[in-house]
Formats: sequence, C-alpha cells, structure tokens
Amino acid sequence: MVPVPHRAQLAALVPAARRVLEGLVTAWAAITLTFLALRLSAGDPVASLLAQGATTPARAEALRHELGLDRPLVEQYTGYLAGLARGKLGNSLYTGQPVERVIASQFPATLQLGLASLTIAVLLGLLLGTVGAWSGNTLPGRVAPALSGLATSLPVATTGVLALLLFGLAVRSAPRGDPLVTFGRTALPAVVLGYAASGPFARAIQSGLEGSLRAPFVLAARARGVRRSLRLLWHALRPSLPPAVSLIALEAAFLFSGTVVTETVFSRPGLGRLLIRAILQGDFPIAQGIVGLAALFYVGSQVLADLMALGLDPRIRRAS
Amino acid sequence: MRRVAVPRLALAWLALVLIGALLAPSLAPQGPFQSAGSPLSPPGGSHLLGTDHLGRDLLARLLFGGRFSLGASAAASLLTVLVGGSLGMAAALLGGAFDAGFRWLASVLLAIPGLLLAMLLVAGLGPGLPAVVLAVGIGGVPGYARLTRSYALQLMQDGYVAAASSLGAGSGWIALRHLLPNSLPQLIPLATTHFAWALLGITTLTFVGLAGDPSIPEWGVLLNASRANLLDAPWGALWPGLAISLTVLSVHAWGRRLADLQGS
Repeated sequence: MVPVPHRAQLAALVPAARRVLEGLVTAWAAITLTFLALRLSAGDPVASLLAQGATTPARAEALRHELGLDRPLVEQYTGYLAGLARGKLGNSLYTGQPVERVIASQFPATLQLGLASLTIAVLLGLLLGTVGAWSGNTLPGRVAPALSGLATSLPVATTGVLALLLFGLAVRSAPRGDPLVTFGRTALPAVVLGYAASGPFARAIQSGLEGSLRAPFVLAARARGVRRSLRLLWHALRPSLPPAVSLIALEAAFLFSGTVVTETVFSRPGLGRLLIRAILQGDFPIAQGIVGLAALFYVGSQVLADLMALGLDPRIRRAS
Repeated sequence: MRRVAVPRLALAWLALVLIGALLAPSLAPQGPFQSAGSPLSPPGGSHLLGTDHLGRDLLARLLFGGRFSLGASAAASLLTVLVGGSLGMAAALLGGAFDAGFRWLASVLLAIPGLLLAMLLVAGLGPGLPAVVLAVGIGGVPGYARLTRSYALQLMQDGYVAAASSLGAGSGWIALRHLLPNSLPQLIPLATTHFAWALLGITTLTFVGLAGDPSIPEWGVLLNASRANLLDAPWGALWPGLAISLTVLSVHAWGRRLADLQGS
C-alpha cells in the first residue's frame, strides 16, 4: 500500500504555502512600485545625460529609442517585467554594461560586509542582553542597556567616522604593514555596522531573559540544584531565542541600508557605493535594480523568518 | 532623579541648537561660505571651533548648518505627519475597500526599507536638498500612516464616537472634533520621535552625497567633508558628529519623557 500523507500533515502546509504566495505578491508589488516611482518622479534621463555632456543631441533620439523611453509606460513596464523574468535588468546609461553584471560584480563585497556585521550584531546583542538581564543594578548591568540603546539611536555615519578617527589615532605610530593593523582596518566597518544593528537583539534577549528568569521552570531548575550560570545559559536563554531569531529578518533590511553609509564612510566598494553613484549620475536602471534587489531580499527574509516560526512553534501553526 | 535630569539636559541642548540656528546670522563670527582663516587651523583663538580645508570658520558653518539640518528635518517630518496622519485617519474612518487597499499598499511600501525608498525617490528627482527633504518625508509616510490608523481604530472603540455617529455626525466631523484631539497625546510623542528619524535620514542622505552641493553647511555634508583630513583635523568631524548625535539623542529622550507624561 502506498503511504498516503496524513490529512493533518497536509493541512500544516497550507499556512506555509499561503505565506510564500503572499511574499511573492508583495515582491511583485514592490518591484512595480520602484518602477513607477522612478518613471513618474524622473524627468527625461536622456536630458540629464545631455546636460552633463555625456551624450550628443544627435545620439539622444537614438538613445531614447534604445531605452524604450519613446514607448508608452505600460509597454515599458511589461518589457521590464519580461526582461526581469529572464534575469535582465537593462543596461547602464553610462557604460552600457548590463545592470545584472554590474550588480553581480559589487555584490560579494556588500554580502561579506553584511554577513560579518550580522554575526557581530548577534554576538554583541547576546552579550549585552545577557549582561543587562543578569547583572541587574550593578555597573555592568546598567552600562550594557545604555550601550545597546546608543547603538540604535546613534547614526552610523557618526559612529563610523568616529571609529575611523580613533583607530587612525591609535595605530598612528604602528609600523607599516603590521598584520594586526591590517586586520583592524578590514574588521572596522563590520564592527561599526554590527554594533549599530546589535541594539534590537540586545533588547529582545534582555526582555526575554527577564521574563524567563522568573518563570516556574527556572525556579524548578534552581530547586533541583542546577548551577546559576547553567540555569541562565541553558534554561532561561533558550525560550528567548526564537523572538531574537525572527528579528534577523528585520535586521537584514537595516543592514542593507546601513551598508550604503558604511561603504561611504570607509570608502569600500560595494552595492551601496554603486547605488549612490547611480543616483548622482541619474543612471536609473542601476538604481532601480539595486532597490528592487533590496526589496526582494527583504521580503524573502521575512517569509523565511515566518516559515521558521511556523516550523518552530506549533502554537502559531494551529492559530493560523 | 535620572528620569528628570536626562530630559532636562536634552531640552537644554535642543534649546541651544534651536537658538543657534535661528540667530545664526548674528551669532556667527562670519558667513558660512566666507574663507577667513588659514585652512585647518585648530580650535581656539579667533576661530573657536577651528576652520575647514578652505579656511572657513567651523562655528559659523555649524550654526548655519543647524538651519539646513533642522529646517530640512522639520519640513520632512511635517510632510510625513500631515500626509501619513490624514491617510491613516481616513483609512480607519472609511474602512471597507479604502482601508483594505491602504493596508495592502502600506505593507508593500514597508517591504522597502524607508531609507532605500527615500534614496530611490532622490534617484528619480535628481540630487539636491529639496529632493532629499521630499524623499525622507515620503519615505516615512507608510509607517506613520499605519500607526495613526491603529491609534484611530483604538479610539473609535470609545463611546463618544458611537454617540456622535448615532447623532448623525459625518466622518469628517468625527475625525476633526473627536479623533484628532483625542489622539494628540499619542501622536505628539510619535511625531517627536519621527523628527529624530527624519534628522537621521536627512543627515544620512546628505552624508553619502545626495545633497548634490558639497559647499552647503549642512551637518551631514560637513561630516562627509571632514573625512578627507580626518587625522590632521579631527575637530572637523567631531563638531558635526556631536551636533547630529546629541540632537538625535535629545529628541529621543524628550519624546520618551513626553510619552511618560501622557502615560501618568
């Protein structure tokens, strides 16, 4: 007999499928909005090219035709979507290179910065949150929440420039090519961005811990004679992890806009610098490609976080 | 003690910044565009906060910068509060298809991080301070509108709204006479913290160079310009960095205090 999946098992997949479908619709709408926002707010990109002397009046008409700007908006939109389905995002107005190739060339640098910052943010958030909840009214117990509060309200531009200044002053007398200095220079952008992103994690961990440290199961562990540190790390910390995990999706969006600033502060190559250059030059296919990618990435990570929550917590599964 | 001391310090700083910006022409030792000293001279002497790479007095640029940064943030927040507030209130009152459409559009727009949405708009409008103001103002609308809607919906549970509508009051009347005054205690702290977000957004966009003109004395522009001579003239980064950070922190502290006062 062929094993038939149980009805309940199939039913559990329905909310997940619905969430994925919702995500797809949101992504499509976001891409449409980026398209519309640019086409409606932008004047004639060719005119701005002309003004900057990047093209000649004789070439302008041909360029408009090439870009499809002489076609009606609906036709431009369907053309854009059709290209998108084949992985094509149009060509840069300046270099004529395919946008997807330009983006792909800058993507690794930004991904590296983003992942390193996320790792630092999670570790730092765990540390600050645990210290904040554990140490109570002692000096570290008060400093930790203050540090995580500052992390969320201080602008990355300021902390970045300040970190660059302090680092520069600290290594001023260090010999050239000192491996420690080189390491510091590469790690600094991720530390700055990671610190800025650590605030929400720290707060989620701290409030989760403060709740669960008073919970009956922790009291029970204490009654069984479980050591204080083990109680904290194993019993109390575990239930506060899922909310922190779902924060990662929100952080991903923050990190993406944070990389724009961080890359400018530290003069690092990457998607953020590319976006700024595209905006300043009026190279809208590139700007549209990067913002669209960011929206896709954000929607995707939110869907993933919700699916993880569905998988981890049976209560949510039943409720939806 | 701390609960009162921090908001007081914050208020003092905000007052200082505001007076500095308003009275900049009479307080500043010279014009913000005028080069009157040797380049990169350290703080002290005839230039209290030092000079920049073109010999312009940094105190003058900082004071006039307050006009640009605070003015731009105020304009952007006003745009957000007016547009977002009316949209959210309308969605709560009208309900039905308008509300459903509103909720869907807001969730889609919130799928694009606010700062990136703003950058996209600057890409369309072309760089410049007015474009940055418009972009940051519009970038904040989805989030603000959604919060206003939820406040208004909470208030509509109250008896006086039902009483007014059973007496035949129209939704415009209910919005202006009942919902608006009663939601102000929640909307004012919200608008205050939104101002901090706008200042952060404005200085971030100008810092990355989207103001277009690198000669204006806006705080984000000043911070960016300081990077070229960071180690030789660290004061160039310190003053605008402090101005931005302290103002954002003070607005946050004051917003929290306002929310506490409403709560008690």
